[in-house]
Amino acid sequence: MTKDLSQVDPNWAWTAYEPSVDRPWSRRLAAHHYRRAGFAANLAELEQSVARGPVDAVEQLCNPGPLPAQFQATSAMLAQRTVAAGNVQQLAAWWLYRMLNTPDPLLEKLTLFWHGHFATSAVKVDKAQMMLDQNEMLRQHARGKFQDVVRAVSRDPAMLIYLDSTTNRRIHPNENYARELMELFTLGVGNYTEKDVKEVARAFTGWEVLADEFVFNNVQHDTGVKSILGRSGNFDGDDAVRILLDHPAASRFIARKLIRFFIFDEPTAPDSLVEPIARDLSEHEFGIGRVVRRVLGSNLFFSDHAIGRKVRSPVELGVGLLRALGGTTNLVKLAQGLGELGQSLFHPPNVKGWEGGRTWINSSTLLGRANLVGQLLLAPETRYGTSADDTLEAMADRAGATTPLKTVDWLLELLVAVPVPPAAREVLVKLAGDQNDNTDRSRRIADVIHAVSALPEFQLA
Amino acid sequence: MHPNPSRRAFLRGSLSSAALVALGPTVPQFLLAASARAAEAGGESVLVVIQLSGGNDGLNTVIPYAHDVYRRSRPLLGIPAAKVRKIDDFVGLHPSMEGFSKLLEDGHLGIVQGVGYPKPNRSHFSSMDIWQSGRRQIAEEQVSYRATGWLGRCLDTQAANQGVAAHAGHDVPGLHLGSGSGRLPLALIGQNVRVPSVQSLDAFKLEDGGDSRLRRAIQKAVEAPRDPNDELTAFICRGTRSALESSRQVQEAVRRYQTDVKYPDTGLARRLKTVAQLIDAGLGARVYYLDLDGFDTHANQAAAHAELLAELSGGVASFVNDLTRHGHGKRVLVMTFSEFGRRVRENASQGTDHGAAAPMFLAGGRVRPGLLSKHPSMTDLDEGDLRLTTDFRSVYAGVLEYWLGVPSEPVLGEKFNSLNVVLS
Repeated sequence: MTKDLSQVDPNWAWTAYEPSVDRPWSRRLAAHHYRRAGFAANLAELEQSVARGPVDAVEQLCNPGPLPAQFQATSAMLAQRTVAAGNVQQLAAWWLYRMLNTPDPLLEKLTLFWHGHFATSAVKVDKAQMMLDQNEMLRQHARGKFQDVVRAVSRDPAMLIYLDSTTNRRIHPNENYARELMELFTLGVGNYTEKDVKEVARAFTGWEVLADEFVFNNVQHDTGVKSILGRSGNFDGDDAVRILLDHPAASRFIARKLIRFFIFDEPTAPDSLVEPIARDLSEHEFGIGRVVRRVLGSNLFFSDHAIGRKVRSPVELGVGLLRALGGTTNLVKLAQGLGELGQSLFHPPNVKGWEGGRTWINSSTLLGRANLVGQLLLAPETRYGTSADDTLEAMADRAGATTPLKTVDWLLELLVAVPVPPAAREVLVKLAGDQNDNTDRSRRIADVIHAVSALPEFQLA
Repeated sequence: MHPNPSRRAFLRGSLSSAALVALGPTVPQFLLAASARAAEAGGESVLVVIQLSGGNDGLNTVIPYAHDVYRRSRPLLGIPAAKVRKIDDFVGLHPSMEGFSKLLEDGHLGIVQGVGYPKPNRSHFSSMDIWQSGRRQIAEEQVSYRATGWLGRCLDTQAANQGVAAHAGHDVPGLHLGSGSGRLPLALIGQNVRVPSVQSLDAFKLEDGGDSRLRRAIQKAVEAPRDPNDELTAFICRGTRSALESSRQVQEAVRRYQTDVKYPDTGLARRLKTVAQLIDAGLGARVYYLDLDGFDTHANQAAAHAELLAELSGGVASFVNDLTRHGHGKRVLVMTFSEFGRRVRENASQGTDHGAAAPMFLAGGRVRPGLLSKHPSMTDLDEGDLRLTTDFRSVYAGVLEYWLGVPSEPVLGEKFNSLNVVLS
């Protein structure tokens, strides 16, 4: 397979993957799929996925059906407690709870994608209820039509507060939201003029926040004719959004972002690869769920251009590790630890969100990742597996990992996206099964996981 | 502690020469100077910024002890002339600044007086943003939610000059040694660079629970060769090896670190000692950023301010001395700043309220010593506040150009006369 993306046939790229002799459906592909569409698979999920075959496996992650009432109730209760305590820091722990326990991990992954896209930081919007409301709004629209989420964001109090857009007066329109809307949320630089920004700002006049709620301030709304991207009329904010999304740059902009988020960090996808996805978006009312399903089931997705070609974000690392091992831990501490690795949920560094890719990696975060994993493994609040006294040793036994070699292979399959060099594997096997070592087996397994987390291969998703 | 007469004359002399050197440099000259200095010092120049949070009362720090406006405006807070550590016939240091006094005598302290910016903003949040972003006008690309800081932009430039995309290198370009909040200051946010924020040296340690077997296993597994054609893995692998190596160096250096310099037992001194250890360990960071909080002295200022100044002065003096003993004195420059000074007249609560211009301190083996600019007028006040004599961006420009070797105009967005803050 050629590594050069410009040589890849776009038709082939976006056609649904079908198992073949060269690329059979396998645990490796299933694990990759879970890692990207969700946060990671545990052993049972891997085995189920393999048994189902790619079509059903993809369908299972993309359209798992409505969330169980019990899960929703627990999540709502935890959210309510967090908001009542007024503690924005704990909101991150609440979200991690959802990511860890949801039977619909793609929903949380997409919500995370939108949180980074429509970045809003609790540093400025210091109200848990508002940040929660925004998060729930993004979740509600996560698989929906992009136009709906943009319209909802344009009315979101947290967003408007963050962008200093709580007032927008007819006499002196506030350009802040209009600018970010066009540059970061829908079109990207170079696809509009400064005049367009001013006109879109006019369209949004009167869209304000009063007492933490969105209000449409009729008196302040400019009802004159605006000229946006070559179209004229008495446009309001919703009209402006419609016009922006009609521009061909919009579907390409979103398509490109989705490709980067789900398939590979680098290089930048060539236009030829982006086109079919962009067209799919614009021809189907910008329906995100539909396009994401196509992306996650495609030949390109299951190819070597994609597997292990993203740098694992801190959230994927933490949640992925726990999900793979069926573990749970103190989520407030986990949230803080992920923040130290550069991804503090509800606190993106600025309105551009998290850049991701290689920016997750520096000498301090590399050590930090291994340290966080080490802490997670040893923390008294960390539990594994299905029952209260389940241990790593018991899990290993259930997985048939009864020798050092099998233990290492079991762990590598669950936790690492790409093969590790033989010399490294040897080191891990020795660590797993030192006959002279008196430490208990669970501890030794934990040591192997700790060592794995320091490997360069572990940082890849 | 009074400087001897010849020292005083020297300091007066440097004031006038300093006034002359506040001229813009020609680009080749300062770049050459910066790199020559770096080569001489055996390493690249390092800047240590200490943010004094809350608004430091400059008038009680660098005190115009003889001026009757000072006496009349501060019947309770005014420091008696006899207690002031005199620098010249006009100003002197607060009595608790013994460390700074000694540094001044050694020619290792520079004082930029009257630093501020036009149309001062007296809001903590806004003014701190102005100082940290390095831009007075919050221009379109600088609104709070997408702002960058002057040091972040400087580090971006340095990375670009090295011909390496900032995210392609692994070296820690700068380091924020926080005192608690953990949030990276705006000053250090750049387009491409990622400056880590750490609370302690533990962040540079691979935590292995004391299990050397585990550590050795990790080391060995990371050292195994990888496919060099897989650029992404190779990048991460290089980064991991480099991280393990710096971690080892840092821990080793800290273990071996000997110093006869007795650092005071304060939070700032402890953090500065950590910085000294990191510099000695060879960590590649060009900028360290620390903060000292508590300067917002609206009430009962006397004791609190004295303690803070003692902490600042004692910590920095030990730091500079320690660096000098380890051979790094000439490549480290310390710079202090605060988001504003305080009003000339004391208030009714034995404190002072938000003001405007205030002094900045520079310390290090190559600093241009003495008073580097004029004291603000005590009579021509701006609604009760000191008017600036020096724009803070001139100081930044001087640090950028003469110390860090980076052209200031792109970083600051405008041309400012660079204050020459170091000896060539």
